This record gives sequence, C-alpha cells and structure tokens, in this order.
Amino acid sequence: MTLSTLALIFLSLCVGAGVWLVFIWAVRRGEFDDPEGPKYRMLDEDEHPRRNPSRQGDDDAV
Amino acid sequence: MPDSPPLNAHPAPSPPLNCEHCALPIPPAALVTEVIAGTELSFCCQGCRGAYLIITGAGLERYYRQREWAEPGLPDGAFTNPYEDDFLQRFVCTVDGQEELTFVVEGLRCASCVWLNEKLLGNLDGVLSARVNYSTHRAQVRFDPARVTPARLFAAVAGLGYLPRPFTADAVHQLQERERRALLIRFGTALFLSMQLMGYSLALYAGYFQGMEASAKQLLQWFAALVSTPVVFYSGWPFLAGGWRSLRNRAPNMDLLIALGVLAAYGASLHATLLGGEVYFDTAAMIITLILAGRLFENAARRSAAAGIDRLLQLAPEMANRIDASGQCTRIESVQLKPGEQVRVLPGERFPTDGAVAVGETEVDQSAATGEALPVLRRPGESVLGGTLNLLAPVTVTVSQPAATSFVARVARLVEEAQSRRAPIQGIADRVSVVFVPVVALIAAATWLFWTMQGGGAVQPLLAAVAVVVIACPCALGLATPTAILVASGAAARRGILYRGGDILEATARLDHACFDKTGTLTSGQPRVIAIRPVTGTTDDLLQLAAGIEAESLHPLAIGICRAARERSLPVIPLPQVETFPGRGLAARSSHGMLLAGNRTLLTEHGIAVPDAAADSTTEVHLARAGEYLGCLLLEDSPRPQAGAIIAGLRRMGLRTILLTGDSPAAGATLAARLGMDEAHGGLTPEGKCAELLRLQQRGRKVLMVGDGINDAPALSTADVGCAMLGGTDIALDSSDLVLTRPDLERLHEALLLARRTLRIIRQNLFWAFVYNLAALPLAAMGKLVPVHAAAAMALSSVCVVGNSLRLGNRDTRSEVKQSTYTEKLILTPNPEPRTLDR
Repeated sequence: MTLSTLALIFLSLCVGAGVWLVFIWAVRRGEFDDPEGPKYRMLDEDEHPRRNPSRQGDDDAV
Repeated sequence: MPDSPPLNAHPAPSPPLNCEHCALPIPPAALVTEVIAGTELSFCCQGCRGAYLIITGAGLERYYRQREWAEPGLPDGAFTNPYEDDFLQRFVCTVDGQEELTFVVEGLRCASCVWLNEKLLGNLDGVLSARVNYSTHRAQVRFDPARVTPARLFAAVAGLGYLPRPFTADAVHQLQERERRALLIRFGTALFLSMQLMGYSLALYAGYFQGMEASAKQLLQWFAALVSTPVVFYSGWPFLAGGWRSLRNRAPNMDLLIALGVLAAYGASLHATLLGGEVYFDTAAMIITLILAGRLFENAARRSAAAGIDRLLQLAPEMANRIDASGQCTRIESVQLKPGEQVRVLPGERFPTDGAVAVGETEVDQSAATGEALPVLRRPGESVLGGTLNLLAPVTVTVSQPAATSFVARVARLVEEAQSRRAPIQGIADRVSVVFVPVVALIAAATWLFWTMQGGGAVQPLLAAVAVVVIACPCALGLATPTAILVASGAAARRGILYRGGDILEATARLDHACFDKTGTLTSGQPRVIAIRPVTGTTDDLLQLAAGIEAESLHPLAIGICRAARERSLPVIPLPQVETFPGRGLAARSSHGMLLAGNRTLLTEHGIAVPDAAADSTTEVHLARAGEYLGCLLLEDSPRPQAGAIIAGLRRMGLRTILLTGDSPAAGATLAARLGMDEAHGGLTPEGKCAELLRLQQRGRKVLMVGDGINDAPALSTADVGCAMLGGTDIALDSSDLVLTRPDLERLHEALLLARRTLRIIRQNLFWAFVYNLAALPLAAMGKLVPVHAAAAMALSSVCVVGNSLRLGNRDTRSEVKQSTYTEKLILTPNPEPRTLDR
C-alpha cells in the first residue's frame, strides 16, 4: 500500500513538473504579454489568409 | 447698443445626421455626400470621406460593422505624419535577420481598430508581418527595407486618422517587463507546488480525523516538506527579503508580517515532521501563493495604467532646422543646438529650445508653457520659449539656451526634485502592520511566559507561542488591498480614469483640498463668442463677415469666430488675399473696399474711431469696411460647461476648492467667485504654486492638484495626488498620478467617489481578513489549536475578502454621479446665458 502510494505521488509530481515546464516556456515566449487581444483576434476569420502576394514571395524566399 | 441673442445657447435645429466614418453629427455647412455602391452616404468633411474610401477600397468594410466606439471624433493632428524616414530609421532594429519597427498607435478604441491597423499594415507591399498589441497599443511590424520604408508605414496608419508615434523600449520598460515575468514564474511555481501539497494535506486531514498508519503519515509529511520548501524560499523570497529589510529599518510592514507567519508555520511544521505532530505546511504555502496572486493583480493594474499614460504622451520637437553661415538649412536633432546658432521655425511648428527672434515677427501660442490662452506677439529681439507654438509666420530664432537648460528642462528638474521630496504613500495594509506586528509579538511572548510558568517544559510553551504567530498572520491580508484595487482600477479605466497604482487610489480617497489651475483646466482654453454688437444690420451679418475674413487663420480667436458661425449654420466663404498684421488683426480687399478685423490698435492705425466698450475678461474683435466702423464681437475664454457642477460636487464631498493661477489675481478671483470656489491665488510662478501646496501640506492637509500646463508640472508632483487631463502637455501628464483620458472634468468627481468607495471596501476587507484569525487566537494561546481551525479561518477570510472586492465592479458609480451632477446643474446654473446678456 505504501509502495503504490509512493509510485502515485511520484507520477503526479512528474506530470505536475511537466505542466510547470510548459508554463515556464510559455512565460519566456511572451504568451502572457497581451492577455486582451487573442479573445478578439479569434473572432477575425481571415477570408484570404494569403491574399498578399508579396508575403507569399517572402515566405518562398526564406 | 443693440442686444445680441446668446450664442452658446443652441445651434439651429439640424437633422440628426451623423458622419459615416467618424460618427460625429454633421454641421449642415460642412456636409459632404458621396454615392458609394448605390447608396448616398454623408460625411462631415473631405478627410472622413477619404478615410472611408481607403478602408472600403482595401476591402475592409467589416470595420464599420464591427467597431464599437465609446465616443466619436478624431484625435488632434490626425491624418498627418510628422516623422521623417531618417528619424524613424533609428527606431528600427533587426530581429532574426529581419528589420522590425515598434511604434505606438494612438487613437485605438476597440478590437476593430486593432484589426483594421493589422490588416492594412499587413497588406502593404513589403510588410512581412504586423501585430498590434491590444493592451499596450503597440504595433510591431517586420518589413523588407528594400520595398517599404518606416515613413510609409507611418503614413499608412496616419492616413486612417490614427496617430503613429515612435516608441523605444528603454531600460526602465525592459526592467519592468523582466520583473513582471519573474513574478509570474514565482507565482506559477508556487501554484503548481501548492496544488501538489493540497493532495498531501487532504490525506493528512483525513488521517487526522479517521486515523492513519504512522508510516504513511510520516511519508506524506516528508513529501509536504519537500514541495513547500521551494515555495517558502524561492516563491516567498521577495517577502523574506522585504521583511528583513523592514526589520533592519525598524519599520514593520506587511512583508514582515507575512515573513513572520510563513517562517513560524514552516519551522513548526518541520519540527513536527522530525519529532511527530501535526504539520501546517499548507498554511505557509497558501499564504505565499495567495499574496503573490495579489501582487500579480496589482502589477497588472499598474501596468495597464502605465501603458495608458505612455500612450498619452506627446513627442516634444525632436528635430530643428538649423541655418548655417551660408544660409543653408539642415535638419538636426534639437539636443545638438548650441547658443548663438540660428534656427528656422515655420508656422505650426514648436520652437526647439529657448531663444530670441532674429528675423521676422509672429504670434506665439504659449499656453503650454505659461497657461496664457491668447497668443502673444513676438518681434525681433523678443524671447520665445522652447515647446511653444509658432502660429503665424516663419521666423528665424537665435538660440539662447541649449535644450538641456531650456525653460522646459528646468521645469522638468523641478518636477524631479518634487518627486524625490515626496514621501512614499503608505498603504493601509502597511499601517495596520505597524500596530499588528508588535501586538502579535507581545501576545506570543506572553503565551510563552505563561506556559513556562505553568511548568510546560521547554517545547510545549514554544509550540504554543509559534501557534499564536501562525494563526495571527492573516493570509487574506495580502489579498485585501490588491483585489480591491484591481477591480476598482478596471472599473475606472472603463470610464477613462487611470490611477498610477493602488497607493494613489488610497491617497485619492483621503484628499481634503482640491487645487485647480485656471487656463485650460477650469476654462476650455478656447475663446468663444459671447456677444455680437453690430452698429447696423443683424448680428448674423456681422458674424458672417468676420468669419469670412478669419476663415483661414489658425488664431484661436479666428477659430472661435468660425465655430460660432458654424453653430449658427451660416455659410462661410473665405475671402482671398487676406493680409495678417501680427498681434493686431487681419485685412482683406473686398468689392466694397478694405475690410479690417482686429483689435483697437489696428483700427486706430487705419484712422477709424472705435467706441469704448470696456469689459474685464473679454477680448474684442472690431470690424470696419471702407473706413466705416461696423461693430465688434466679444470673445471670452469661458469656463468649461461642467466646471460649476464639479466644484459644487467636490465641495459637497467635503473638499475645500482653491484656484491657483499664473494669471492676474483679479482674473483668478473673478472666476473663483463665479464658480463658487473657496479661495483664489493669482500671479503664481511654477515655484509659487508648489509653495502654496507645501504650505497646505505642512498643516497636514491632503491636497489634490488639477492642471495641464508645463507650469503646473512641479505642482502636480508636489501634491499628494496630481491630476491631468487628456490634452494636457506631456510633462503634466508625466508628473501626475491620476490621469483623465477624456477631456471631461466630470470624471474627476467619479474618480474621487470611486476611490472613497474602494478605501471603504479595503477597510471592510481588512476586517474580514482579521476577524476569523482573531477568533482563533485565544485557542492558540491556550495551546488547543488544531489544524482544522487554522484551515477554516484561512478559507473563510479569503473567500470573504475576494467576494467583497468584487462588489466594487458591480454597482455603477456613474449612475450616482450622473444623478447628483444633474440636480446640481439644475440648481446652480438655471440658465448660464443671462450673464452674457447683461454685459
């Protein structure tokens, strides 16, 4: 019983640590810098995502 | 003299026609119509029509369906891009091998504006990516320098009526950003570990009630110790360091209270883990997690206020046209100017630094520097101040001061001094701690002494004393202020009020004196026509004649006259070949002979007798045609319409209202009497205003200063709370703590009401934060504390505090204000017009 508890605790610690690392990564990437914008940006469906030919060209060049 | 009907009563009733683009009502004289896609659309000016065509032409009509504007209209100076490529090039940096430009876009109102700017920039040829940050209003554009220039980007944004402004991420900003991220990581870590800890604690609580194997309990306790150690020493480090600092300074503050509670709980639990007993690791970890959450809230509120104020700052003249010995003009940075050099300043430009006019004569708008509303005449040899606006004619100016020691720079130094002199505002939670920490220490010591006397051995009295400290440190205390401030500043920002931090909110609630600047603050700073006195003919004829000659002038009096003509829906036909006499007026040749419009001097010079019409605070514009005197218009820099109501509102709240002005004492006293203010002081220099505020503060008064000019800036920083409005000068906005983002004084009343309500809620929060803990304190002193008491006290107090704070967002303060000011308006200004009639 103690052994299984121990194993489960370790498992939860590992899962938690994984989530924690993702969180640190997100903070460093600046995902929390604009908490307001994304909720509006989500509503802007882009009818022509590639309408601008210049951008297409740049992507090809890169 | 014939009577003139009041002008500012109401414009002629017009159909409720609003501009398709800017949504402002259209004055009938300015209507522009255009048939687009089969429907006739109405615009208020050619600019709006142009912007509508740009937007629809780019296939972005969705903007008009989606936008949600609080107010219509455009910011001042829209549609022009004053920045040049060479200058903007310095703000371009290279990221991942691509050129990137970050700039602030002023005038964004809703998500739809963000969308429009992003799409328009993104569709420009050569733009690789464009992002506009909704909360900071900063645009980040990556582009190909071979195909597009920074000036083109700026011109594209300016063409829509938004105001692009260069932005440099300076050291202070970067430091703040790093600190914010560090705080977020500390909080995230504490949250993650506390969640793990909660599992172990729950098991331990269950074991406490039902009984559990000693070995399992031991194991869980060890794990609890393992996860809570980083919470205490990593996440809680700011509190431990702060507590230590306050101990060394012998000034107990909230950090010390938190550090004491956390270390006591952690130490006692570690002791119990080693020697057997119940652990309180969860208490220690929860205190830290909740208080970090509070700090995070407060930080977010402060950050959004700071970003808002950033956006309001106008850029001072960065570049100047220097004239070399050969007469060539070169564009250089203002800071490089040396005394003795000559610069060329065109009408509509600001002077780069202090100097004296060398060639030419012009009128200068000094309102930003001195608060003087009307332009002053400057002839060769007379001095001009940096930052003031050249209105009429191009002039050559000999620089007398380098930019670093100009009038504006000297005022900036006064501001800095005032800011360093001002004691930091102590929050209510800190003041509670000053009393609370010694009291808790005393009770703990008494408990220890009592149990030692009872012969409890060495360990048991110590445990009882530690239990007192643990239970007395209320973790909800850390949430009491920040949650209230977060909710209140969010509610305030929606109404156009920005508090520069929670301490300002608390200080605003405690104010008992309100000082106002006169020009531009209580008055609008724009002269209005208050009476028309024709010798023959109707008032409309005279006004139309005056508007015709003044139509293309930028002089505030001319703008006031033209506005009056528009309000009466009179067609204004600009006269050709208008000649300007700086400081005197205008002259134009018309079919009926020479038409003159100007002051007494101008008409006397042309040999026309002007009848006496002496009035104290008014300005006269006389008209004459072909040597015949036609009549005069009276203009006045009248008080803002809401000024009377706001003064009455503040007085009703128990504040004493004082007028501090650089204008003459007589003019100050007249306005103060008219608005019903308690005191007026005139003829004050920037230092004089500070001295007046310091005198009040020395008597223990809490003073609010409301102002907008450069000359108010030192007073704004000296006051307990400085308040500036949108439209104020950059230095005034920068040195104020409370900023109204709309040029509407009524918000000030709201700001004060909201602050008072917030302080009341904070006090209630402190009560809820303490009451449960204090109830458990006797148990701890008796040595009968069990973990379930601590847990119950903690949970109940936190829930009460957060719930209480949320009430701030619920009730609408605005409705209270609207009601009260409405009734005041009815009582105080039954009809403002008769004043103008009996002149």
